[in-house]
Amino acid sequence: MSASSGAAVPGELDGAVTVVTAAQTGIGRGLALAVSGAGACVALLGDPEALAPAVAEIEARDGRAVAIDVSFGTRDDVRQAFDEAADELGGPVTGVVHTWMPPEAFERGPLEQVDDDRWNAVWEGAMQAALFVLQAGYAPMRAAGHGRFVFVTPTIALSGAEQLVPYTAAVEGQRVLAKSAARQWGPDGITVNCVAPAPELVPVGVDSMVVSLAPPALGRAGDAETDLGAVVVSLLGERGAFLTGLTLCADGGVWMAP
Amino acid sequence: MTDGHGRPLAGRTAVVTGAGQGVGRGIALALAARGANVVVAARRAETGEPVAEEIRARGDEAVCIVTDVTERDAVAACVDATVARYGGLEIMVHNAYQGSTRHRVEELDVDLWRTNSRTAVWGSFYCAQLAFPHLRAAGRRGRLILLTSPAGVEGSVFIPAYGAVKGAQRAIAKSLSREWGPFGITVNCIAPVAETPALAVAFESNPVLRERVEQRTSLRRIGDAEPDIGGVAAFLAGDDAAYVTGQTVVCDGGSFMGL
Repeated sequence: MSASSGAAVPGELDGAVTVVTAAQTGIGRGLALAVSGAGACVALLGDPEALAPAVAEIEARDGRAVAIDVSFGTRDDVRQAFDEAADELGGPVTGVVHTWMPPEAFERGPLEQVDDDRWNAVWEGAMQAALFVLQAGYAPMRAAGHGRFVFVTPTIALSGAEQLVPYTAAVEGQRVLAKSAARQWGPDGITVNCVAPAPELVPVGVDSMVVSLAPPALGRAGDAETDLGAVVVSLLGERGAFLTGLTLCADGGVWMAP
Repeated sequence: MTDGHGRPLAGRTAVVTGAGQGVGRGIALALAARGANVVVAARRAETGEPVAEEIRARGDEAVCIVTDVTERDAVAACVDATVARYGGLEIMVHNAYQGSTRHRVEELDVDLWRTNSRTAVWGSFYCAQLAFPHLRAAGRRGRLILLTSPAGVEGSVFIPAYGAVKGAQRAIAKSLSREWGPFGITVNCIAPVAETPALAVAFESNPVLRERVEQRTSLRRIGDAEPDIGGVAAFLAGDDAAYVTGQTVVCDGGSFMGL
């Protein structure tokens, strides 16, 4: 991956300007730290106030991070945030790690209690955000001749889960959208992949035993920064060049299909 | 009355959305031929009524109820009218879909996205939620069947929005199969490839597509909606499939084999 100007942090991602969404907590925060630790300059998209501690933590480790205000509600809003990321970090966005979901997505309940507002917030909110993020990233990546998208799509959507119909629908919708983007954008040197963490890493109150007869083969559900981070950094860097349209289940050895 | 199948669905009632043409029509014919009372839920009476008439002309039972699956009130009215007429609803088949205009992800606008999303996914939400009280009452005979696509598994280079909404429907089926399993209700998907007006339009706008589809298909033919897809729907709708749930049955002549 070619370097853009930016902080001279040595490492696998070598100054690449990388957007991470929903980095204020959980998976997003862990992946932001991992990506920054590998040398990327990171733009954390979301609510800057909520993101401030993550930015401070990255800076405390000598990484370079900015928080950029975005609601994910419109195409222009997201595009503007990507432009701002490029301006602030001194190079085009060539990596995107998308973990954001509408907050309502994680609330469990039987389908008969889901009203139209909730379905709209979770399904349309998640899908349109994913689409806008893809579209905002495509232009600079195409111009650069290379780019990497990684979507976080927890295994719970592969297995299905009761009382999580809108959430699992939105995750699978994103996962298949990512595959189609991978098919269309391969000729531009852009890869689009998914990483599927264990349900324990998502605030939905479900654990791996719901989808498996046995606990994770490796004995743990995984750590966002170290375990998932290693996978995501590989996909973002040169080593990921020939991988696209994939779903990598990084769940400690639970979901083993195919 | 069609011979050869017996009447395993006699006494049960099915709603089939998008049944005015194509795969939906084929499923409606097949379920009716096996004894089900069939509601041809079509957006337009001009397509729905002739299918209902075709079924009745065979000596089977059907009625057309004009239904726009993107409107909660319309789906609710369809379900209510179905139960009022036939006394229950055991089998809900959501097949209606619109929006397969060829596009690129970077150019996909919210209007085309919404056309895909409203028919496939909101339609699934409404059909599932509004049928649920009746499916629960039907217990082990309760069925929700969603029509998805191989593109919902492997994505699509031609119609990305279609792949996304079809993928989402598979997740809806999996999660609902877990949520409704305790009631005995099964929830499954069928991923068909069949000769339909929609496929004809796709082939017309994309001439290489027919050749590619036929080349990849083991059986070297594109499915015939009633026998090839309707038969599988009838299996999933009946007692023989009472222990099959959360699954996607790919009916494409042996093309996509990724499951």
